[in-house]
Amino acid sequence: MDKLSVLMLSWEYPPRVIGGISPHIYFLSKHLAKQDIKAYVVTCDFPGAPAHEVIDDVEVYRVDSYKNPSPDFATWVYLMNMNMQRETATLIKKIDGKIDVIHAHDWLVANAGIGLKHIFRKPLLVTMHSTEMGRRDGLHTTAERMIHETEAWLTYEAWKVICCSDYMINHVKYVFGLPNDKLVMVPNGVSTHDYGADKDYQTFRSKFALPEEKIVLFVGRLVYEKGIHILINAVPKILSKVNAKFIIVGSGYMQEQLLNIVRSMGLEHKVLFEGFLDNTTLMKLQKCADVSVVPSLFEPFGIVALEAMAAGSPVVASDTGGLTEIVEHDSTGVKVYPNNPDSLAWGITKVLLDKTYAQSLRNNAYRQVQEKYDWEKIAQNTKRIYEEVLGEYSKSFWA
Amino acid sequence: MRVIIFSWEYPPRVVGQLSEYVKALTTQLAASKVDVDIVTYDDSSTGLTQEPSGVKTMRVSNPVKTHIGVLTWVLTLNQEVERAATNIYYDSGKKIDVIDVYDWHFIPAAITLKNGLDIPFIYSVESLEDHRSPTAQSSYNMSIKSIEWRGFYEATKVNVKSQWMKEEIIRIYNVPPEKIAVAPTNQDTWTSNILKLYNSAGEVAK
Repeated sequence: MDKLSVLMLSWEYPPRVIGGISPHIYFLSKHLAKQDIKAYVVTCDFPGAPAHEVIDDVEVYRVDSYKNPSPDFATWVYLMNMNMQRETATLIKKIDGKIDVIHAHDWLVANAGIGLKHIFRKPLLVTMHSTEMGRRDGLHTTAERMIHETEAWLTYEAWKVICCSDYMINHVKYVFGLPNDKLVMVPNGVSTHDYGADKDYQTFRSKFALPEEKIVLFVGRLVYEKGIHILINAVPKILSKVNAKFIIVGSGYMQEQLLNIVRSMGLEHKVLFEGFLDNTTLMKLQKCADVSVVPSLFEPFGIVALEAMAAGSPVVASDTGGLTEIVEHDSTGVKVYPNNPDSLAWGITKVLLDKTYAQSLRNNAYRQVQEKYDWEKIAQNTKRIYEEVLGEYSKSFWA
Repeated sequence: MRVIIFSWEYPPRVVGQLSEYVKALTTQLAASKVDVDIVTYDDSSTGLTQEPSGVKTMRVSNPVKTHIGVLTWVLTLNQEVERAATNIYYDSGKKIDVIDVYDWHFIPAAITLKNGLDIPFIYSVESLEDHRSPTAQSSYNMSIKSIEWRGFYEATKVNVKSQWMKEEIIRIYNVPPEKIAVAPTNQDTWTSNILKLYNSAGEVAK
């Protein structure tokens, strides 16, 4: 029998990195390939990246992401899907339809996933990394309702819906009214050995902070749901107790507004906005950080917390969404009240002032990451889901 | 011969003159012993209709009800058109000779079906974005034009009603003249011309 083969659809894959889906697809497909699965990834093109290449035994295809002007982001998504669908149909025909399952990631590839499912009559699975309802804290505009309905349609068409945390399972069940037997939880993973052994980071560190300053690191898009404004509000409270440098990595629509707040507080020398950073620099920063802060208001999973744990940086996270499951208070990190600058300042100060406590958080977190969020195990679980779906599919009239 | 026709209007849904045209054509085709399936939009407000004999009509509704514009509406509706067409394809033992697509609306579905399942399609042009919105250059108009362009590029043949339209398509989209067939509706040879076109498209695909 031929190898089991999966076709992944994702709007991002390295070097195109917009959010957490890109690394997720990279690691998942790579580790699926190690589980003897033939993995194809179809994604959007990126300047300088080839249209086809093989990365870690994964066949990566980059399609024309529709580069004519589009009226708005959502319309672009549907136009991009039109192209993705066309090129992927050609690809599947070229390999004689030898695809067993189609695995889509988020509404951004809904149309392509649904279309290809029917054209080739193959089972479709979807991983819902997030929802519009969660991202926007409700549905307020026509565009938001449209995206929400597209998500609902995608989960309806999918054979199984995978979510990265128990929190998200409950969330999508409520938001789309899905039956229990359609939902499967597979955690997101993190690769500990990518962070390497301890090296001397003094020179690197000195580019960001003075030796006497502690490094407080935030990594994430500068958008409302990530709660970065809560951290900015907490900065003076923390500085009154401990000397620290706040490093903000990521970009987003709130950047200008946040900069103004920092300026008005006269703390520009204490808060650095680094923008979007390449992976190597980011990983080094995570290793140097005396504390990593995840103050999210909505967080389906919270991969940044997991990355910090793998890098050996103590984590302070808001007690919400997937973070609630990742961080165990006083053991693998510190949990604080969401949307509460006082609570956040308390957590950060506690970690920065108590070295023994911080070290124990580091050790426990690292162990936890290795045991629970290992990509090999995640790929094995995912493969089992594919096999289960194919078992059911083989009894259907499509088979 | 087995043909699927895509049209975003079909009685009782009448937006322009396309609706009655497609109905007249399908009635003629059915009379000429062609297996015809119509895939069209289910406009629930228009009520019931009498179907012409021998023509099978599949009315699909949009899986996403809320939209920010015509483009998003059309592109999600395309998925249901595509789904309906694949069901006809598989139910008929994969024997579809050609898909005849009226205007740009369902071109995306036809393109995917062509590339994925080897079903050739004919792009039948009722009107062009350049004529509907002359001088309009917004990203909305350009998106529609890009779909029209892609339709001409991927279609096996292009079907128009007049020599004037043929020249316009050549002028605007640089389509090779031999790809475009003219079948005026006011001549007795109308149906036989279209049948000839269906046959030739099927031949080219083989």
